[in-house]
Amino acid sequence: MNSNNFFSFSRFYRLLRNDILLNHKKYLLTIVGGFIMGFIVMYLYMPNLIQQPYSNSSFNAQRYSSLFIMCLFGLGAFVGSAFSELSNKVKISNYLLVPASTFEKFLSQFTIRVVAGTIIFLVIFWVDAHLARIAVLSRIEGLNGQLAGPEKYDYIKKFHWSMFLIKSNYPTVTNWRLFEGIGFILTFFSAGMFLFSVKIFFRKLGLIKTGIALVATLYLIMVIMVCFSHLFYPETKGFSTGNIDYMLSNGYTNNDIFQYSIAYLAPLFLLPLGYFKLKEKQL
Amino acid sequence: MINIQNVSFHYKKKSPLFNDFSLEVESGHIVGLLGKNGAGKSTLLNLISGLIQPNAGKINVNGFVPFNRNPNYLADVYMVPEEFAFPPISISTYVKAFSPLYPNFDYHKLYDIFEEFELQPTANLNKLSHGQRKKFLIAFALSTNCKMLVFDEPTNGLDIPSKSQFRKIMVSSVSEEQLVIISTHQVKDIDTVIDKVVVIEDGQIIYQENINEITLKLYFDLVPSLAGIENVLYHEICPLGHKIIVPATDGNESSIDLELLFNAIINKTINSPLTHLPKDRETATK
Repeated sequence: MNSNNFFSFSRFYRLLRNDILLNHKKYLLTIVGGFIMGFIVMYLYMPNLIQQPYSNSSFNAQRYSSLFIMCLFGLGAFVGSAFSELSNKVKISNYLLVPASTFEKFLSQFTIRVVAGTIIFLVIFWVDAHLARIAVLSRIEGLNGQLAGPEKYDYIKKFHWSMFLIKSNYPTVTNWRLFEGIGFILTFFSAGMFLFSVKIFFRKLGLIKTGIALVATLYLIMVIMVCFSHLFYPETKGFSTGNIDYMLSNGYTNNDIFQYSIAYLAPLFLLPLGYFKLKEKQL
Repeated sequence: MINIQNVSFHYKKKSPLFNDFSLEVESGHIVGLLGKNGAGKSTLLNLISGLIQPNAGKINVNGFVPFNRNPNYLADVYMVPEEFAFPPISISTYVKAFSPLYPNFDYHKLYDIFEEFELQPTANLNKLSHGQRKKFLIAFALSTNCKMLVFDEPTNGLDIPSKSQFRKIMVSSVSEEQLVIISTHQVKDIDTVIDKVVVIEDGQIIYQENINEITLKLYFDLVPSLAGIENVLYHEICPLGHKIIVPATDGNESSIDLELLFNAIINKTINSPLTHLPKDRETATK
């Protein structure tokens, strides 16, 4: 097979250019909207009144992590709107006949929605986190003036990415280990890939159908777990699962390994599945 | 060229639309694909374009299997669908976005056709009327210089002057290396454009002939009455008398009345290859 039929850099560039020319206003509005929404969410989420007793770690790494996960839903919505041309019959026919390979079409959406989307999301999050902190701190001062100088600025910690390296600060500060850190990132990536392919699989009501598919998948996993429990632990009764948690020599529990295996392996299935579904897409 | 061999196709949960369907068309033709509603014209265009996959049989267009959607194949095929949607952008932005994807795109031809169709490149596509948007798509399609151009109902929504402009532009813009397929119900709109007629019904080709062959074999006329006219293959009553089709004799040639021919074919009065049917099978349409 001629590799030019599969991928050509100049054709890929023209396809990216095509997408940006057609959708630049939409993307610009999404960035501006995301920036404003992010700021509002963060501003409201950050404490605007000093709690008594005062603790200088009121808004710390863990609160930023919760905020980050909350904001990831916005990125999820952007990623989930990939392949918007596949929403109706007329647009599908135009899209499928665009002179580019299926791989280039898939990769261009991945580049714009996932790669560029994630980078822009991270920049927006960083800027919003700093702006919201400054806005909230100035408001705190205006309200009661209890704190001044460095104390005030410590009340809401300054955001920096290294905060996310902390897994927990209770009872002692622990950092993510590489395996679980990557697993954690891949869990979000898998969820992103699930959303990325929504339009390829479902023409209408994509998010609802995806939700149903997700529930069905979880239910299927539960059913398999129940079956295995009955098979390997005959004492299991009814629909309960014999899910025994035990520590392995590497410091992980069996359930950790199970969860991380899903996180590591899911993108390997989801990406090719989306690609081949797009390749076989018919009007 | 298009080579379709023994193709079968049916939509999900529907009865077969094509069964053992075959068709071969060489490049250098403008083919009129005619048929009644539901005959399978649009489906055939979708099969040829690679938008759907046949259930059985082989389709080969310019050396490619359409459904593989090879990028080199797609760069040489342009389809103007019956229904279309545009993003809210100007004509010039659309051209800037899509023209680089077609290696043989001719900007001079595009702007010449724009002038002919009175289209402004600065106009927003979504603010144009349906007819203007169709004219833009026709202009863009012809400017791609693709080896195969597929038009599904191209004259729907065009006003009368635009229809004649369409015919003029079509004839002057298409080269010998190209194959153009026009599927339409508006047979009168394309009668001076096409050089080959293919009529399909119930997923089968019921008539296939070159226009010059038809003019050699059939004579189209308008007569006040049928009295004294022999060998009438088909006739229809019209305000001025009768429109008739008779076998051409002594090298007499006439302009083809495509609508009359189509009705004659659909009413099984004329078959391909042309046969003269007994008079009792003539059908008069009132």
